[in-house]
Amino acid sequence: MSASQPNTGLPQSTGYGPRTTDHGSRPKIAVYWTGGCGGCDVSFLELGPALLDVLSQIEIVFWPALVDTKRSDVEALAPRSIAATLVNGTLRTEENVEMVRLLREKSQLVVAFGACAYQGGVPGLANLSSREEILHRMSGNGFHPTPPPGGDAEDAPPELLAQAKSLSDEIVVDYVVPGCPPMPPLIGLLFDALLSGDLPAPGHVFAHDKALCEECPRTREDRVLTKVVRPHEMVPDPEVCLLDQGMICMGPVIRGGCGAACPKAGMPCTGCVGPTPNAGDPGLAMISALGSLVRAGEEGAASFAAEDKLLDALVDPLGTFYKYSLPAYVRGAGKRSDR
Amino acid sequence: MSREPLTVDRNPSAVDRDPSSVNRNPSAVDRRPSSATDHGPRTTDHGFRTTGRGPRIGVFVCHCGKNIATTVDVERVVEALASYPGVAYAARHEYMCSDPGQDIVKKAIKEHRLTGVVVSACSPSMHETTFRNAAEDAGLNPYLVEIANIREWCSWVHNDPVTTDKAIRITRAMVEKVKGNHPLVPVEVDHAVKCLVVGGGISGIQAALDIANAGYEVLLVERSPSIGGRMAQLSETFPTLDCSQCILTPKMVEASRHPRIRLLTYSEVSEVTGYLGNYHVKIRKKPTYVDPDKCNLCGDCVAACPIRVPSEFDQGLSERAAIYIPFPQAVPSSYTLDEVNCLGLNPLRCSECSKVCTVGAINYDMREELIEEDVGAIVLATGYDLYGKEMMGEYGHGTVPDVIEGLEFERILSAGGPTKGEVRRPSDGKVPKEVVFIQCSGSRDPELHKSYCSKICCMYTAKHALLYRHNVHDGTAYVFYIDIRAGGKEYEEFVVRAMEDERILYLRGKVAKVFRDGDKVMVWGVDTLTGKRIEVAADLVVLAQAMVPSAGTEELARKLHIACGGEGFLKEAHPKLRPLEALTAGIFLAGAAHGPKDIPEAVAQGSGAAAKAIAILAAPTLTHSPEMAEVDEDLCSGCAVCVPQCPYSAITPGDVAHVNELLCEGCGTCVAACPSGAMRMKNQTDAQVKRMIQVALDVEPVEVGRA
Repeated sequence: MSASQPNTGLPQSTGYGPRTTDHGSRPKIAVYWTGGCGGCDVSFLELGPALLDVLSQIEIVFWPALVDTKRSDVEALAPRSIAATLVNGTLRTEENVEMVRLLREKSQLVVAFGACAYQGGVPGLANLSSREEILHRMSGNGFHPTPPPGGDAEDAPPELLAQAKSLSDEIVVDYVVPGCPPMPPLIGLLFDALLSGDLPAPGHVFAHDKALCEECPRTREDRVLTKVVRPHEMVPDPEVCLLDQGMICMGPVIRGGCGAACPKAGMPCTGCVGPTPNAGDPGLAMISALGSLVRAGEEGAASFAAEDKLLDALVDPLGTFYKYSLPAYVRGAGKRSDR
Repeated sequence: MSREPLTVDRNPSAVDRDPSSVNRNPSAVDRRPSSATDHGPRTTDHGFRTTGRGPRIGVFVCHCGKNIATTVDVERVVEALASYPGVAYAARHEYMCSDPGQDIVKKAIKEHRLTGVVVSACSPSMHETTFRNAAEDAGLNPYLVEIANIREWCSWVHNDPVTTDKAIRITRAMVEKVKGNHPLVPVEVDHAVKCLVVGGGISGIQAALDIANAGYEVLLVERSPSIGGRMAQLSETFPTLDCSQCILTPKMVEASRHPRIRLLTYSEVSEVTGYLGNYHVKIRKKPTYVDPDKCNLCGDCVAACPIRVPSEFDQGLSERAAIYIPFPQAVPSSYTLDEVNCLGLNPLRCSECSKVCTVGAINYDMREELIEEDVGAIVLATGYDLYGKEMMGEYGHGTVPDVIEGLEFERILSAGGPTKGEVRRPSDGKVPKEVVFIQCSGSRDPELHKSYCSKICCMYTAKHALLYRHNVHDGTAYVFYIDIRAGGKEYEEFVVRAMEDERILYLRGKVAKVFRDGDKVMVWGVDTLTGKRIEVAADLVVLAQAMVPSAGTEELARKLHIACGGEGFLKEAHPKLRPLEALTAGIFLAGAAHGPKDIPEAVAQGSGAAAKAIAILAAPTLTHSPEMAEVDEDLCSGCAVCVPQCPYSAITPGDVAHVNELLCEGCGTCVAACPSGAMRMKNQTDAQVKRMIQVALDVEPVEVGRA
């Protein structure tokens, strides 16, 4: 350990378990939310009793949802004195960007926590409309953020960014805990690594490298797509692969680690954990897979039109393929009025 | 304990740093070492080879005489590539494929310790093997050699200064590919030492005999009860007028007696699995209900049988019983009870044949046999049919009984045919005094029928007319033709002989209409040489029907995963250089199943296919290209999307997909379908392809333009 490093207090030992480390020598952790729903903050509770083990080993220096700390408290910290900052939420306002830059400066590690921070998440679908269109829809004409009556100018709500962004669009991200919200086993993997000091290579995503199908108990036999149905249109066979039954399940493209929770419950995977390391753009990968699987009649030119029609039954392809990742893969959407 | 807690200062100025383009890329959040963005060696999982010293690639640019050099500034290409990162040596030659050209490559590999070679020349389908072998001679793994196609892709299709620019880009892209190539070793595999020949016509018989005579076992499968095929139906053959049966039957007998030929007549191939050298075939042998060993060929059963149906062998011009032998010289020489037309294989229903059979050869309880065999190679010689008569309404088929097709006329001319060789017409048995032969009936007619030339009709029509004149000395023969195509040894002389010595009237023009008038067949046509309308009151009209692939050819092709051309004939791997091979390795084509052919050609192709098959059977082991798909088992989730995509059924599903490396032909369909990027092509990875595209499309112009 280099002597010039600020003392973050991270333990040298590994594993969970009751600890009696003095306050101040524990690793400092920050958790921050930007444009999110708050589900990620709540997801920590799903760790159950293990959460107590974690909490006994860390010091929370900043966590707006949990402890009364202010921006000024963060500003007062020495650079890189926070061991790890977990950011959840999409970057949507200028304040979001300022805060994550500040936290980046004060932190040794920044973790994109949850689908929004990772690839833009559900709020990222707003990129299908321009900022002006969104503001107009919300507040009618002439909306401009102003301070509350009698307030200072600096109390005005922050400006909306032109587009929703993922965390890595603005700052360097060290690790990702994916999911909407992250599943307890994946959160556990992160703390395991942080507290043991056994850190993976930068850029690591705390989920499986294999696609979700690996964890899915459903059987795959006829790998042919002969129809496209939406979840509300049928009660699926409990044993058979949802894709084989015509539901557009993103499982083959999306990392496992969630335990295939949705397919087990009869709902197709919507992709919250993000694509596998080699899948590339999940929408393109899925389009390629669906194009390979679709079959309408005998092979040949005559079937092409029928197959096109069959795939046309897929409503909202963008929302299906990029439900959690539009800002990461589809650029320039919603820029119509910006031009 | 070397674990180090969170102290590694990886990124001290992270906050000051502008979000780099790398950081903006969503996939770059996952910042593991991946495909390189600059040149040089990398210790990566995919991407550049880890030679430790960096790639040393040789680039060899070919002038191809004037083929490339006319539009591509070859010298400039060499110059541009010589300074390209990773290129250790660049050279050019008038003909790189020549021995001196190959020597340049070999010498450079040794002298410059090359780790890879790019030859900028013609299509890899031409000389990839040449240069890979040359590299291997010089000690370089052949899979580190790639061809940059600057001829078909470039010099032949462009004609401006951009051509050189493009040639440089194509070559650079290939250099990038070679940087990512790994040395590979061909897969070795044992093989079966037996050959399947499908179709017992002259082509199939020839192939079977040649293979058997070379010392290998042959399964000869024929759908009908006898081998012999179409040739057995013919009367005489052009241009020598040999008796067809007389020259065919010795071969049929030889095939049936050959110790290494197993004859399976009345049998069809039902399933084929496997791959080159190791095909597993299932053959259904239909029951004949007659024990050939007991049958003494007395023929009493035929007399006893109450059923009469049109004879297939006589093209429906005579009748046969439900129990029959197709023709006297049939091989195997035995009767067949046709269960479709039999009153019922049941002593209670009929059993007349069984009652008269003194040797007890008839067994109603005979069952279909399923024969399974492993074979190393397959020869397809499934032959042809004539284009359906019913399609030729304009020539009176179906309405005029005395309009017949060529094969019917062959039977009429045959000594063993329905008229014992006397020319008599089907309607009333009269000897026809005026006969009109119509060529190109259904051929060369893209609007209504087949667009291709059936090739043999000019010759057999001349033969028909000539034989008719030999038979009916006072008869008149007219031949309507579009052109006479008599390209073959002594073919032209034969046609001239028919025209001049036999005074057969050749009329250049198409027939407009054929209709019945009393007991005559009226033929209206035009002679385009004189411009006159022709009207013939004929007694008989013979149509030279187009040749089409025999029924079931397409189904068989599907079973074997091979292709048929647009007209349904089996498709060869290359129309000029690989005319005997299907695209699937180990499957060969012979005879008219591949396209219209006369007998000498069918025999020659049968022998050619046999030679190809023997090359496989004789090899100690077979090798299979290692350039194929492989599964990254750390990434494959077993989703099985790839499984149904494989045209070769090479993928087995499971916890992770498994690619059978002997079945995989490296087509890449599974790689494209794989949703999670777990399937990849060896030496053709996504990283390589992306890098190639980047380099090929680099916005910087690479060529300054030619002086």
